[in-house]
Amino acid sequence: MKDDHSHDLHPPKGEVTPLPGTMPSLDGTLDEDSLHTPLEAAVGEADLRAAEDAEQVKGNSLWNDAWRRLLKNKLAVFGMVVVAIITLASLLGPLVIKNITGITPDYIPGEAALLKSFPPFTAPDGSFSWKHPMGTDNQGRDLLARVLQGGQISLMVGIISTLVSLLIGVGYGAVAGYLGGRIDNVMMRLVDVLYSLPYIILVIVLLAMFRSQTARGQLILLFVALGSVSWLTMARIVRGQVLSLKNQEFVLAARATGVSTPRIIFRHIVPNTLGPVIVYATLTIPTVMLTEAFLSFLGFGVQAPLASWGSLATDGIANIAIFPWQLIFPGVTMALTLFSLNFLGDGLRDALDPQMRKF
Amino acid sequence: MPVLQNMLRFIIRRLLVTVPTILIVITITWGLIRLAPGNFYTSEKPLPAAIEKNITEKYGLNLPWHVQYRRTMWNILRHLDFGNSLKYEGQSVNGIIARSLPVSATIGVLAYLLALLVGITFGSIAALKQNSRWDYGSMALAMVGISIPNFVLGPILVLIFSLSFYWLPPSRWAAFPSRNLILPVITLSAIYMAYIARLTRAGMLEVLRSDYIRTARSKGLSERQVVLRHALRGGLMPVVSFTGPALAFLLTGTVVVERLFALPGLGNYFIQAALNRDEPLIIGIVAFIAITLLTMNLLVDIAYAYLDPRIRY
Repeated sequence: MKDDHSHDLHPPKGEVTPLPGTMPSLDGTLDEDSLHTPLEAAVGEADLRAAEDAEQVKGNSLWNDAWRRLLKNKLAVFGMVVVAIITLASLLGPLVIKNITGITPDYIPGEAALLKSFPPFTAPDGSFSWKHPMGTDNQGRDLLARVLQGGQISLMVGIISTLVSLLIGVGYGAVAGYLGGRIDNVMMRLVDVLYSLPYIILVIVLLAMFRSQTARGQLILLFVALGSVSWLTMARIVRGQVLSLKNQEFVLAARATGVSTPRIIFRHIVPNTLGPVIVYATLTIPTVMLTEAFLSFLGFGVQAPLASWGSLATDGIANIAIFPWQLIFPGVTMALTLFSLNFLGDGLRDALDPQMRKF
Repeated sequence: MPVLQNMLRFIIRRLLVTVPTILIVITITWGLIRLAPGNFYTSEKPLPAAIEKNITEKYGLNLPWHVQYRRTMWNILRHLDFGNSLKYEGQSVNGIIARSLPVSATIGVLAYLLALLVGITFGSIAALKQNSRWDYGSMALAMVGISIPNFVLGPILVLIFSLSFYWLPPSRWAAFPSRNLILPVITLSAIYMAYIARLTRAGMLEVLRSDYIRTARSKGLSERQVVLRHALRGGLMPVVSFTGPALAFLLTGTVVVERLFALPGLGNYFIQAALNRDEPLIIGIVAFIAITLLTMNLLVDIAYAYLDPRIRY
């Protein structure tokens, strides 16, 4: 151990000026050291020194490293590209279609002859046409526009519910982990109990009982229901991280300089748990989307006039024998998105947290 | 026998948590049903005031809430009696559960066995031939299995095997050895196959690098013996611990499959009950599911301790 590790924890007064959002610097040599992440903590001091020396030369941060590792993973890159394309298409697609053909997702043709389900790339007279690449549904609405608009809802449910679960889970886990002792014990026991509940069953009861009359109300209910049942694992992960972080020197330093407890938790510790949190959040999105689809299938999810991939696919099931494209296009789009998100999540895990890697 | 004693203490400690948990589940369900606006008869035509009064009196809905709550809980705790269904008149909740359980259980058990068989086989092959074509192939397939919602997979299978080739019946229940079960069971098991294959692969890879496998190999055991006798036991630990969550998943899966294939199972009744606001039936099924789930989790933990000598309670 060299000298710079035997820093005294009682610096002369006046030298310590904790900047917002940064770790307090004790004796000037600690700046780099203080930015410990769980990753680096596991690597060991010697390696860390070596890594830091290398950092000085190449200027690679942890995030840069992770990004490079991610780009090496072909499946993760594939996932990232597909997710980006589908997200962009969902956001911009309906507008583009409106500008090209003048069709909106809710457009129902005025002619009686057009009020039926046409196969993909087919004009009403049976000839080839670019107008409806995914065909139309029973009311003659363009399926492509509807699938893209459904994507907006599905992705929104996935992302917002995950954010809700992130907020609860990170807050809960960080507080439990940092306070420790009896409070931690009680809080985590509660999580254990909640873990063993048959959630989905309770969510169904909740959604069935409090069915909203408006589609928007139902959507908000869905965010809350899905978010409030998927934060448990997040809380456990964050708590574990916080437990390993809270006894490190930068926390001690922050405490020594009189930073308040909430501030230590949320400004100093939580930012250092970001890696695992991002990984788990990425894997939560597809899970939530799948749950939303499941609820929509049962009739408790997104309600008309709004549509998600799940509710579009459900509408398609009724017509599977005659108009299979009504199920296949929304179903496959959704499966492809979930597939890509899962690969992206796995890739992020390997890149950000090599320790969690399963070979 | 300190081991046995510890185990016993562990089981008792778990039961002390399990029983209140079940009561909490029932209470939450009861509360959700009561807090929601409306009532079980509000889906029908508006009723004349006199009839409505009769209904509320018959079902005790005019009593204070705590009296109703106590009455419900007392019947459940004392007699394990959930009362009669409000919608299926004259039918007891216990009777409906007893009738529909075999349907769900048959589908669920068959699906899980199929998933174990296929998942462990492919997962082991993927681990033994890591980074080969087999490995990538089965893992990609597993990811597809995880990503396709079962209510999309089911109708596609029906479209292919029933509506195009006319090989298998598209729906309807028939008792165990029946062609009717093939499509529902495959639909239900797809996602578990995928999870189990991934878990087996991860577990096996970890075990195959461990010291005791090296010892087994260096003793000169055949590869077959090393894998079947030594590696699988350790490598399947993640699969064992997955059984708990899998049961919870299996429940949601059976709900979908039962609705898709029109099977008269527990899940189908549950959804119907939720839509009808059939309070006794909802509470009965929720309680039954909670009890099953928590008991299974306990059994899984015990099995885990038995299989992995490193775990001591």
